[in-house]
Amino acid sequence: MTAWQNWQAAFLKQARSDWDAYQKTTELEWPNCQRLHYLQMVTEKLSKAFLVAGDTKLENLTGSHAAFVKFIRIMSGNKNLQIALGMKKSQQKAKFNALLPLAREIELLAPALAQGGPNPEYPWEDPSGIILAPADYSFPLMQRLQKTPQGIQLLKYIEIFQKRFEELFM
Amino acid sequence: MSQNHNIVEAAEDLIHEHFELEPSLEQVIWINPDKTTEIRILEVNPETPPTGSVLSFHFPPYDKFPYRMKIAEITPEEWERILRHEIPLPNGWTLDNYKVYSRETVTI
Repeated sequence: MTAWQNWQAAFLKQARSDWDAYQKTTELEWPNCQRLHYLQMVTEKLSKAFLVAGDTKLENLTGSHAAFVKFIRIMSGNKNLQIALGMKKSQQKAKFNALLPLAREIELLAPALAQGGPNPEYPWEDPSGIILAPADYSFPLMQRLQKTPQGIQLLKYIEIFQKRFEELFM
Repeated sequence: MSQNHNIVEAAEDLIHEHFELEPSLEQVIWINPDKTTEIRILEVNPETPPTGSVLSFHFPPYDKFPYRMKIAEITPEEWERILRHEIPLPNGWTLDNYKVYSRETVTI
């Protein structure tokens, strides 16, 4: 295998491991902060599995957490995926565009992007001066992921992309 | 039909389709079009989140598109910065040779 293939396999393996951990938090009803932490990591590493094969510089990969929104935007026009999912191109575009706000919310969970606000890893101070721990915060995003059609669809695609990665993208 | 002609046709079909699908797409830059086995595309779109870097996603060839594709979305400002060499291109990509497509030059 070439160097980029080794990096891609490693990012994919870690994304799958994070997904397994995410699934376990579902079974055990862990706090939302832990569930979202794993989910954010799945999406970041999955996106980076595509980026590392696309000649993206490694320092851009390790130094940035903003990849998932771009990944969903690029996927919205991917023809191979359109064929695999049996969608028309305009349908695929519309469907993926509808997922972008939730994808953005997941991306912004990374503490480096959360701008001192809610994130699943570190405490923050809210506008009224109250210090909050992630474990004490409800993270309404979790509800939107589980209860809205867009959330359910986005979770389904995240699962498909990493589980069928070799078939769809290699 | 030469291999080079095929890749030009495939790339331009893809670019055409992306202009058709994405109303906010302003320009598509085909980087190093002299490559015969892979297509490197920068899509300039003001609606993509700016990152100050070029994040290029890789897609392998498949039956109906037998070329490796590497594609990144950037903002118009990021494209200007790339031209000024303030933002580096991905590994191996160069500005020695590129083609610019705009909505006006692509018939939709």
